[in-house]
Amino acid sequence: MSRFEAKKPSVCESDPLKSERVRATLPVLKGIVTSCYGPSGRLKHLHNNVGGHVCTTSQSSALLGRLSVTHPVLKILTTSMQNLVSCFSDCGLFMTILCCNLIENGQALDLAPTTVIESNKLLLRLCTTYLKSEVCGCRIPVDFSSTQILLCLVRSILTSKPACMLTRKEVDHISALVLRAFLLTIPEKAEDSIILGKSIIVPLKGQRVLDSTVLPGMLIEMPEVQLLRTSAITSSSALKVALFCVSLSGDVSDTGEGTLAVSYGVCLERAVLDQLLDLGRQLVRDHVGLVMCQKVIHPSLKQFLSRHHVIAIDRLGVALMEPLSKMTGSQPIGSLGSVSLSSYGSVKDLCSATFGSKHFFHLIPNEVTVSSLLLCSRSDAAWEELKLTCQTALHVLQLTVKDPFVFLGGGCTETHLAAYIRHKTLHEPGSVLKGDGCSQTELQLTAEAFCRALESLAGSLEHDGGEILTDRKYGHCWSAQSHSPAAVNWPDLLSRCGCGSLSSQEQLSWSCLKSSYHPSMPPACLPQEAAYSSSDLTLDCFTAKLNGLQVAVETANLILDLAYVIEDTN
Amino acid sequence: MACRVLNKRRHMGLQQLVSLAETGRTFLGPVKASKFIIDQESHESVLVSSLVRLLESLDLTSAVGQLLNEAVQAQHNTYGTGTNTLFFLVGAWSSAAEECLHLGVPIPIIVSVMSEGLNSCSEEVVSLQVPVHNLFAHMDNTNSSSGLETFSASLGPFLQTPSDPGLTQEEPELKDASHPRTIYSLSGKPLKSHDLFKRQARAEAEKIKSLETLINGPLPGTCCRKSVLIHSRHFNSIDRNRLEDKPSGFLGPPRAAGSKAPSCNGLVELVAGLSHGDPGSMKLVEAAVRLQYQNACVQRGDCTVPFMFDTSRIFTCCLPGLPETFTCVCPGYVTLVPTAHTALIQELQNQSMRVVLIQGDLTETYRHPGFNKSTNIKTVLESTKVSQASTEELWENHILQILTRFNVHLVLAQGNASERLTEKCMYSKRLVIGSVSGHVLQAFAEATGAVRVAYATQVNEDCVGMGICVTFWRRIPLDVIDKKDRIAILFHSEGIHLVTVVLTSPVIAQMQAKEDRFWACACRLNAALKEQKVLLGGGAVELLCLSHLRIIEGNSPKKVSEACSRWLHHHSSWLASSLAQYRATVLECMATGWHRYLSTLLWNTASYSSEPEANTFIQQHLQNAVDSGSPSSYILNAYRDLNSVFNSDISNKLEQIPKVYDVITPKMEAWRRALDLTLLVLQTDSEIITGHGDTQIHSQDSEDFLFL
Repeated sequence: MSRFEAKKPSVCESDPLKSERVRATLPVLKGIVTSCYGPSGRLKHLHNNVGGHVCTTSQSSALLGRLSVTHPVLKILTTSMQNLVSCFSDCGLFMTILCCNLIENGQALDLAPTTVIESNKLLLRLCTTYLKSEVCGCRIPVDFSSTQILLCLVRSILTSKPACMLTRKEVDHISALVLRAFLLTIPEKAEDSIILGKSIIVPLKGQRVLDSTVLPGMLIEMPEVQLLRTSAITSSSALKVALFCVSLSGDVSDTGEGTLAVSYGVCLERAVLDQLLDLGRQLVRDHVGLVMCQKVIHPSLKQFLSRHHVIAIDRLGVALMEPLSKMTGSQPIGSLGSVSLSSYGSVKDLCSATFGSKHFFHLIPNEVTVSSLLLCSRSDAAWEELKLTCQTALHVLQLTVKDPFVFLGGGCTETHLAAYIRHKTLHEPGSVLKGDGCSQTELQLTAEAFCRALESLAGSLEHDGGEILTDRKYGHCWSAQSHSPAAVNWPDLLSRCGCGSLSSQEQLSWSCLKSSYHPSMPPACLPQEAAYSSSDLTLDCFTAKLNGLQVAVETANLILDLAYVIEDTN
Repeated sequence: MACRVLNKRRHMGLQQLVSLAETGRTFLGPVKASKFIIDQESHESVLVSSLVRLLESLDLTSAVGQLLNEAVQAQHNTYGTGTNTLFFLVGAWSSAAEECLHLGVPIPIIVSVMSEGLNSCSEEVVSLQVPVHNLFAHMDNTNSSSGLETFSASLGPFLQTPSDPGLTQEEPELKDASHPRTIYSLSGKPLKSHDLFKRQARAEAEKIKSLETLINGPLPGTCCRKSVLIHSRHFNSIDRNRLEDKPSGFLGPPRAAGSKAPSCNGLVELVAGLSHGDPGSMKLVEAAVRLQYQNACVQRGDCTVPFMFDTSRIFTCCLPGLPETFTCVCPGYVTLVPTAHTALIQELQNQSMRVVLIQGDLTETYRHPGFNKSTNIKTVLESTKVSQASTEELWENHILQILTRFNVHLVLAQGNASERLTEKCMYSKRLVIGSVSGHVLQAFAEATGAVRVAYATQVNEDCVGMGICVTFWRRIPLDVIDKKDRIAILFHSEGIHLVTVVLTSPVIAQMQAKEDRFWACACRLNAALKEQKVLLGGGAVELLCLSHLRIIEGNSPKKVSEACSRWLHHHSSWLASSLAQYRATVLECMATGWHRYLSTLLWNTASYSSEPEANTFIQQHLQNAVDSGSPSSYILNAYRDLNSVFNSDISNKLEQIPKVYDVITPKMEAWRRALDLTLLVLQTDSEIITGHGDTQIHSQDSEDFLFL
C-alpha cells in the first residue's frame, strides 16, 4: 500500500534580513569568520560529533566548505565565498567579513536599501578605479629581478594560517620551496604566450617540515617491492613512454543492463588477457621503455613487460594524468586496440628516490615545466592545512605573474582605502556622484558606513584586545596595546605598521580608528624605497583582493536587496 | 550544525587534554604499571601495558581526544617509541598553557614563547649527545653479550634501582632463552651464530668474570680518552659571536675544558643503556642485531660496507601458552602449521626445496586488486558432455600440475590459501602456507631468487626459487603444540636476511604486551644505530631543559625582545613589544611542565616514597645546575662522577650502574609533537559540529551551543 501526502505550500518570508533566524545566525557566522582572520586568528575544530575526522583550520575554503548553513541568506554568502576561492584561492575570509560588515552597517543606516545599494556601487567603482590606477598608494609593483617581493608574498600567506603550525624557520624554508616549485613551472623558452606548467604537491606525512623539498619533474609513489624489481632495468637514456587512461587490469568491460551469454568452455578473462598480451607485444615492438597506467595493470602483463625490460607503473590516479601527459608529450591511450605511434611520448630519465619511509619513481622530463613539492608535516591535521596553504600560495604566484602588483597587507590597504574614500567623498563628492540618483549627504552617510566596514575589517586582525590606529599621512594600519595612557609617546609605543613598510620613527601622527577623523589630504603614496627596503613585508595578492572587494560589495548589495524568501518545504 | 565556544572562562580543550593525559601517567619511565580496562556494559576487560594499547581501548570521540590519538599514532607509526613522553608532555604543557591564560597572557605570546623555549631547549641538549662508536668491534669478544644480565635492573644515575622484583626475576629465564637448540638442527654447514651462542652460554657461566671486564673495559674515562668535545656548540667557530655577545655570567667557566665528552662504546653498553628497564626484550633485540650483523658479514665476505639494522627483516612469532624458557631468536622464518602436517614436514626435512611465492590469495576466486568481476555473464551449455568437475576442482588440478611441472614443494602465499588445495598438495608431498607477511616473502625472494607472482598460473622457471629447508622449530615438535593444535616449524635458506623472534608466555594475556615491548626496544635500538649517537637519558636531558629554561628566563630584556620577536609571525603587532613583559611567566610555566615530568619519572621508578621527596631531589639538582653557570657541564660531571651527586645508600654499588641512553630524533619529535598539539588546541576557540547531530546536542547542554 502506498501512501500519498499532500504537498505543503511554499513558505514566503518577507524582509528576511529582519527575521529572527537571520538575526540569530548571521552574527554567529560573522563571529566564526572574524575570529579566524589573520596570523593570530583562532582555529576551529570541525567534526561530526560521532567520531569522524577532526579538521582543525582557520581557512575559509576548509571552513565554509564543511559548514552546512540553512538559511538562504547565509547560503548566498557562503556560495559567493566558495566561488571566489575556487577562482582565486585567497581572500575568502576577507570577502566574507567585509560582506558581513557591509550588511550590518548598511542595515543600521536610516536609508532606503536602494539608496545604500546605489551608493555602494558608486563607492565600489571609486575603489576599483583607484586601486587599478597608477596613483594608488597601497599597491606596489612586483620587481621580478629579485625574489624579495615574491618571497614576502608567499610568507604572508603561510603566516596567516596558524594551523600549519610552522615556526619562523619553517616558514622561511617552505616559502623558498613554494617559490622554487613555482619557478620550475615556467617554461625556459619564452614564446608569445607562455603556458605555465604545474606544481604537484606530494604528501609525506610524519616527517619534519624541514625535510620538505622540491624536485623538477614528477614523483610517483611506489611500493618498495616494485621499485626493487624495476631498478634492475632502469637505463640512463631517454625512454619512450606510453600512457594509458584505460584500465589494463583485464576485466571484461561492463555490459550495462544486459546479460552476456557465453558458451561453455569459453573463458572471457583468458580472451581479454590475450588481448592485453598482444598489446604488450606491440609496445615491446615499438621500443616503449615505460608503460604508465591510470588504473591497474594485470600482473601477467606486468610480468611480460618486465621480462622485456619495460618498466610498468600503474595506479597513477586521475590527478596525475594531465600533468603526465603534458610533461611527456604523450596522448593518453583509451583503448586496448592497436596504439598509434603518435601517442607515445618520452622522458629524459627515470630514477628511484626514497624519502622517509616512502619510495618514489622520479620522472625527469626533457623540458621542465612540472615540479613536485614534497611536503612534510608531523601531523595529518597540520599537513592538510599546509597543503591547502601551499596550493593557495602557488595559485597566488600565478595570479601575480599575470597582474604584477601586490597590495600592502596587515590591514594597511583597508585603512588606506578608507582614508581615500573619506577624503574623496568629503572634498570631491561631485567626481564620485556624476549625477546619479543619490544625494551628497546620502553618499557621505553610506561612505562612512563603507569606510567603517573596511576599518573594522582591519581591526579583525586583532584578537587579543589590542587597539588599531591609523596614521594621518599614509593611512596605514598600526596596532597598539589597549588602554594606553592618554599622554603617550606614540613613536615609542608603536614599532612598525601592519605591512611592515613604515617605522614609527618617521614623524607621523596617529589617530584611533574609533575616533572620527576627517582627512584634509588624500593619503600619501608609499615611497618606493620604503617598500623595497624592508625584507619583512606583509603583502596580499592583488587580483584576489581586488576581486574579493568586488564580490563582497556585490554580495552585500544582493543580500540587502532581498525582499522575500520563498522556500519549498517539501 | 552547531558551534561551541571553547574558551569562555577556562579553556575546555586544554582541560580535556590535561585529563586525558593523566591516564597515561603511570606509563612514564622504566617501571610501567599495567592497567585493566573494564567495559561497564559487557564486563569485558583488557590488560594494557602500553600507551598505544590504552588509547585503542579508550573512547576518544571528542575532537581533542581524536587529535591526541592522531598525534600518538603518528609518533608510534613513524618511530615506534616516544609515545609516553609525548602523552605526558601534552598534559604537562596543556596545564602550563592554561596557567598562562589564567595569568592573562595573550595567546600569540604563549605560542611564540613556548615555541622559542622548546627550540632553545632542543639546541641545548645537543651538548648531551653521545656518539656511538665501535659497535661491532668486539663481536668476537667472548664477554661481549653479557652486559645485560649483570645490569638488568639499573636505571641510570638520576633514577635509582627500582624495588620491583619482577624485573630481576626475569633473568634466569632469559639466559636459557638465548641458545635455541633448533639452530643446530639446520641443514647445511653450521652458521657462525652457533659459535656465538655457545660462547654466550659460556660467558653466562662466567658472569663474575664478565662483570670485571665491563667495569675495567668500555666504561668511559678509561678507554675513550681519545675522544674530543665535538658536539658543544659553544666551541664551534660559527657561534663565537654569540658567545661574546652574552653576559659572561651566563656561560660561566668554559665548559668541560678539562673533562672528556662521554661516548658510548660497543653494542653492549648501548643496549644496556637503551633497555629502559626492560632488559629481557632488549636482550632479544640484541641477539637479533647480532644475527643480522653476522649474516651481513657472511654475505659480503667483509664488513667494510656499513651495517644497517633492518627492523623490517625481523619477524615476531607469538606462541601463547608455552613456558617463558622457549623464547628465542633464530635466523629464518618460524611459523605455525596444523599438526596434521607433521608427517609431511618430517618427510620434507633435510632436503632443499623449490619455492613459489604468491602475492595474493591462493584460491580459485582470487583476482588481483583493481579487477572488476562482471556479474552478468551467464555460461550457456551447448551440449551434454560436460565434465563432472567443478571449476574449483579444475583449477586445483591445474595448479597441482604447475607445481609438479616445476618440481615445487613449497608455496608461500601472502593471502589465504585454499584449504582443499593445501590438502591436495599435502598428499603429493607439497607444503602450502598462507598469510605470510610481505617482508618475509621479500626476504625469501632475495635469498632464493624467486620472483613473487600474483597468480600461480603465472609461474615459470624464472619465478621459482630454490634452496629452502624446513625443520621443526624444536627437536621434539610435539612439545610445543599451541592451543589451536598447531606446531611451529622453521624455514631457512642459505644467506636469508630474516630473523624470527619467537615470543612465548604462559600467561596469554601478557602475549600482546610482550610483543609490544619487544618492538619498542627494537625501534629504540634501530633509531640509535641509524643516528650513530644517543642522548644521555634517565632524566638528564629533561633536567638540562629545566635548568636551561630557568637560565633564559633571567636574560636581559633587550636580548629577549630580539630573540622572541623572531618567533612571533606578525612582528609589527603590539604583541611584539609587550612580549618581554610576559616571557618569564610563560617560560616558568613551561619549566613547571619539565619539573612534573621529572618528578613523575622519579616517583614511577619507586625510588622515592613521596612526590615532595622527589621534588626536593630535583630542586636540589636544579639549583646546583643553575648555580654552576653551565648546566650541561654540571650534568655531564654528575654522570661521570656519580658519587658526588648521590649520597644515598646505593652509592656503594654505583660502579655497577651503566649509563642510560635515549634516542635523539624520536625524543625531540615527541616533544615537538606534544607542543604542536598543545598549541593547536590552545589557539582553537570553538568547536563546530557538522551534520545531523542536532537532536543529540539539544538533549545535552544546548545553552553552550550556537546554531547556524
